[in-house]
Parts: sequence; C-alpha cells; structure tokens
Amino acid sequence: MASINGISKISFGNSFTSSIKNAGRRVYNAIPNFKPIAGDNMIGWIEKFGRKCSSAEQRLILGATAIFMQPAIDAHNKNVDEKTRKVSVARTIGKVIAGTLTGFLIRKACIKAMDLKMFKPSNAAKVSKDAYDQYKNAMGTIVALVVMSFTNFIIDAPLTKFITNLLIEEDKSGGKK
Amino acid sequence: MKNSGLMNDAFQWVSKKCGTFKNVILEKYGEQPGKMLVHTGVLGWILSSAAQVAAVVFNDKISKEQKVFLIPQEIADAAVNIVSFYAITNSVKAIASKLVKTGKLTTPAILDYLKKTGIKILKNSKDVSPIGKWDFDITKLSNFDEIEKQFKPFKNGVDVAASLLGSIISCNLVTPILRNEYAARQQKLALTKMHDKQMKNLEHPRGISMAEYQRRAYAKASGLKV
Repeated sequence: MASINGISKISFGNSFTSSIKNAGRRVYNAIPNFKPIAGDNMIGWIEKFGRKCSSAEQRLILGATAIFMQPAIDAHNKNVDEKTRKVSVARTIGKVIAGTLTGFLIRKACIKAMDLKMFKPSNAAKVSKDAYDQYKNAMGTIVALVVMSFTNFIIDAPLTKFITNLLIEEDKSGGKK
Repeated sequence: MKNSGLMNDAFQWVSKKCGTFKNVILEKYGEQPGKMLVHTGVLGWILSSAAQVAAVVFNDKISKEQKVFLIPQEIADAAVNIVSFYAITNSVKAIASKLVKTGKLTTPAILDYLKKTGIKILKNSKDVSPIGKWDFDITKLSNFDEIEKQFKPFKNGVDVAASLLGSIISCNLVTPILRNEYAARQQKLALTKMHDKQMKNLEHPRGISMAEYQRRAYAKASGLKV
C-alpha cells in the first residue's frame, strides 16, 4: 500500500513538473522572435563586452549602480525610525564605496598576476587566445576571493566604519547649520 | 634525508593537484565567461558572509546572549543574499542563453547561416519555422562548426551582459529590500523579547492594577498629563 502511495505521489510530482514545463514552453514559443541585431558596431560591442568584461569590471559596474540604488531603498524603509534610517543609509554608502574600491582593485591585480608563469595551465597551448583570457579572468577571480577573505577584515570593515562615521558626523553638522 | 624526501613528495603532490585544478578551470570556464561570473559571484558572497559571521563569533565585545541572536541572524542574512543572487542571476543568464541558442535573439550572419542550412526563416506571422522555438538549438546542428566562430563570441557577450544585469537586479534591488524587511522583523522580535523580560521583573505598587501602573508609567515617560 505504501509503495502504491509512493508511486502515485511520484507520478503526481512528475505530471506537475511536466505540466509546468509545458506551460513554460508554450509561453516561450508564443513570444515573437526579436529583430536580428543590426549594425556591425553593435555586434562588435557585444562580442567585445563578453571578452573584456571580467569580474573586476563587473564589480565596478555593480558598485556604480549600487551607489544610486541601495541608499535610496534604505532611505525609503518605513519599518525603522528616522535615526536608524540615517545610520543605515550612511552604512550602506560606506559598505558600497569600501567594497567596490577593494573588490575592483584586488580582482584587477589578481587577474593581472595570472600572466605569471606559475599560473599557466599545461593545456594552455591547446585552447584559443579568448579561452585562455577567460581562464585568466576565472583563476584571477578565485585567487582574488581568497585574498579578499583576509582584506574583508583588514581593509573593508575599518574603511566602512570610517566612511559611515564620516557621513553621520557630516549629517549632524549639516543639521546644525 | 628522509624528511627532505617527504617534503619533495608533498611538493610534487601539491604541484600536480594545482596543475589539475588549473586545467579544470581552463576547461570549465574558458568558453563560458557568463557561467564563471555567476559561480565566482556566489563564491564571493559565501566568503564575505562567512567573514561577517566570523566577525560576530570572534568579537569579544559581544556578549554570549547577544551572539545567540546575532549569529543566526547573520546566517539567515547570508542565506538570503546567496540564494537570491544565484536564483536571479542564473535565471537571467539561462533565459538570455536560451534566446541565443534557439535563434530568438540573433544576428544577420547567424540568420544567413540558418537560411543556407535550409531552415525556413519567418517572414510573416503565418509562416512556420523552428527558429525561436523551445526545442530548437543552433549548437546541435550538424554543420554548426561553420558558424561557431561568429556564434560563440556573440553568445558569450549576451551571457556576460545578462549575468551583469541579473547581479544588478539581485544585489542592488531584491536583496536590500528583502534584507530590510527581514532586519525590521528581527528588530521588532528582539524589542518584544526585551520588553517582556523587563516586564517580568516589574512589580506594581499595592493598591493599583498592573495595567493601570503601566498606563501611568507610560504617560509619565511620554510627558503627558493624566
């Protein structure tokens, strides 16, 4: 009996997932095809972006957009009182600036360090230049993550605290004026 | 003598393992930069979250009682960050990848290649073509190698742009909203607990009820005249 129940549960689960999959498939097929991307410049830009945008550039773009979006979200947080909200905005700005600066510089330096012979894989000659460049980005990012597990304490945390305090103090003096 | 032999063996073992690791990374991410950005992004979140948890664990200024509350809070915060980053970024990248692979998002060169292969191109809404359909996959065509050199850089570019877009949505929009919501709930819970603890130790003067005593105490504290 137990096994029959088990089978019916499995078959129900399978039919449920397959009906979701089918619905997704129908929705996807109903979306009209996009117009082909015209212009060699645009296509060239997309290809170059894929080749050149490493995790360092990603961190920089993420930080640049974060400075506009995250403090605005914290400033509109109605769940906390005004004083907490101000501290939270200051801390977010501090975190974004400190995290972006160290994140970008360490990733960039580690990716650059991948030119050293010791990081070259034995199969490097078998792949294209593009694939090797992507390897350098990936390996550089992994090394950077190891480095950053230390710099998170040594640089990020004190820098975040410094920027946060600076912003809170500035806000207080601005209020007096 | 024996020691130097052991050291030598250990060094050789480490360098062999490192060599294997480098080749695995080359094979796994050499052709898939979008995937690499998602995976290293998740790894980055895990490490920075671990640092945040460790900062609380090894902070002598935080009491044991506070740690009991703060450590699960940091872990929950980390889980929200990691899951939302992976789910959103990976989904956006997977959708973008599917659009390119099925030919829904394409370039004139790829379309020309499909036409040459004998696949019908849509000219009006009544036409039937496999291009852009769920089960169609350009990379599975038998003569894919003819377009591979143009297709792969285009797909990688779209993948990287999609990973970036996904990470902006998750890190700068979804995570801060979820985190604020979660932190506010935790704060309310902690304040209620703190309030309950204080009330447990509170004794009201004889002759008046506890509710009346609380009302008077509140009115006095807020500067209102009863």
